Amino acid sequence: MTAAIRSPLSVTYAVWRALFLREAAFRLSARRAAWLWLLLEPVFHVAFISIFYELVRMHAFQGIDAGMFIMTGLLGFLMTRNCAMRSMEAVKANSALFAYRQVKPVDTVIVRAGLEGFLGLLVSLIMLAGAGLSGLDIVPRDPLVVLLAFAGLWAAGFGLALMLSVFSQLVTEIGDVVRLAFMPLYLFSGVVFPIHLVPLQYREWLFYNPIVHGVEILRGGFFAHYHVVPEANLSYLYGFALVTVFLGLALHVRYARKIIAL
Amino acid sequence: MIVVNDVYKRYRTDHGPGRWILEGVNLTIPPRTNVGLMGRNGVGKSTLLRLIGGNDTPTRGTIERHCRVSWPMGFSGGLQGSLTGRQNARFLCRIHGHESDMADRIDQIAGFCELGDAFDEPVKTYSTGMRSRLQFAMSLAFDFDVYISDEVTAAGDAVFRDKALAAFKKVADHAGLIMVSHAEGTLKQFCKAGVLLHEGQAHWFDDINDAFKAYKATLVAA
Repeated sequence: MTAAIRSPLSVTYAVWRALFLREAAFRLSARRAAWLWLLLEPVFHVAFISIFYELVRMHAFQGIDAGMFIMTGLLGFLMTRNCAMRSMEAVKANSALFAYRQVKPVDTVIVRAGLEGFLGLLVSLIMLAGAGLSGLDIVPRDPLVVLLAFAGLWAAGFGLALMLSVFSQLVTEIGDVVRLAFMPLYLFSGVVFPIHLVPLQYREWLFYNPIVHGVEILRGGFFAHYHVVPEANLSYLYGFALVTVFLGLALHVRYARKIIAL
Repeated sequence: MIVVNDVYKRYRTDHGPGRWILEGVNLTIPPRTNVGLMGRNGVGKSTLLRLIGGNDTPTRGTIERHCRVSWPMGFSGGLQGSLTGRQNARFLCRIHGHESDMADRIDQIAGFCELGDAFDEPVKTYSTGMRSRLQFAMSLAFDFDVYISDEVTAAGDAVFRDKALAAFKKVADHAGLIMVSHAEGTLKQFCKAGVLLHEGQAHWFDDINDAFKAYKATLVAA
């Protein structure tokens, strides 16, 4: 009567699929009109800062519409931030499911990061479509570079999430510190101002932040006349992602048992 | 068949490693055998069940499962409060590889737990009795070779308990069962063989009545 014992790969696939569907169902139905909030946050954000620039009579940066400039930066930044912050909490949010030995903590982080990436892409497409409908030029100069930058920003968020999900389970305060840290990181990522305005000797420091590389390359791929600062480098972003993903997976191997027990 | 090979277990506490709970447990549980696990409180019965169920790893030693083993049933975990009963059941079907016949199994679970409309309400709104009904129905919906039960039968009101016991007995008759219970009657009703956990070691008895005698002897000695 023993049914065929499933291979580890097929078990993992089944778990990822099940987790993805439950995460998606929860993310889109947890609150009233949860799907609307997904869109409202970035839309209001862009609108607010655009109005601010309008008030100080800044209509364009290097000939790029201020709204589009902010939107591209914000969507890139949010890709990393949402992926890192939401997936960081995946282990705690799914703690009840570790009763089933098929579900490992790392599965929940991987799946939630995948879902956040998917939703981020969807939100980006909808916002761009909205901008297009209101008459802005939304066709990227080099779509491939835009996608590469997006993917890199996602991967950096994924790597951070893998590491932080372990750390924040071991030391709960780390979660709060990370939430605080993303605020200055938002400013230093050049979402709301062009990074080339920063004097050279300080810019050097800003470029330790991987997100700013992604945001800068993203804009370079998007706008035909955007002048990308020479420090911006996609391989720095991807290198960061590679190292954090590796460290994060290693941490999960080391602490998998411990973070379930907590 | 499940082979527990020289298993040691201790937990890490806030003040360094704790005491050894299991010290060299050796067990071979043949297929289709119903085993009652007994021992005093804190002797490591639930720990051993969790190890066999794969929810935890031994500090030393190995555990081989040559068959489909259930999750340890009957404890409060395993339900996600924010999701409905139906969504929880779907999740369980999916991770156990029953994507194709999910509709049948969901019907079976919904029918057995008799929660009615509450089946589509979030689990966090359930009472304790409703939760255990759902958990019990979910544990019966899959075909395992060995069921692991940690005080599972104490679920729901009298009518449901009779129905649950009957269903559980049917399952236990054609599959293996490893059971922890403090109720002597329940253990004797379900299990033929017995395992006594005492001072970190496991002792096997082919007859559960012998196991009970030995168990009582350990209580007197203490």
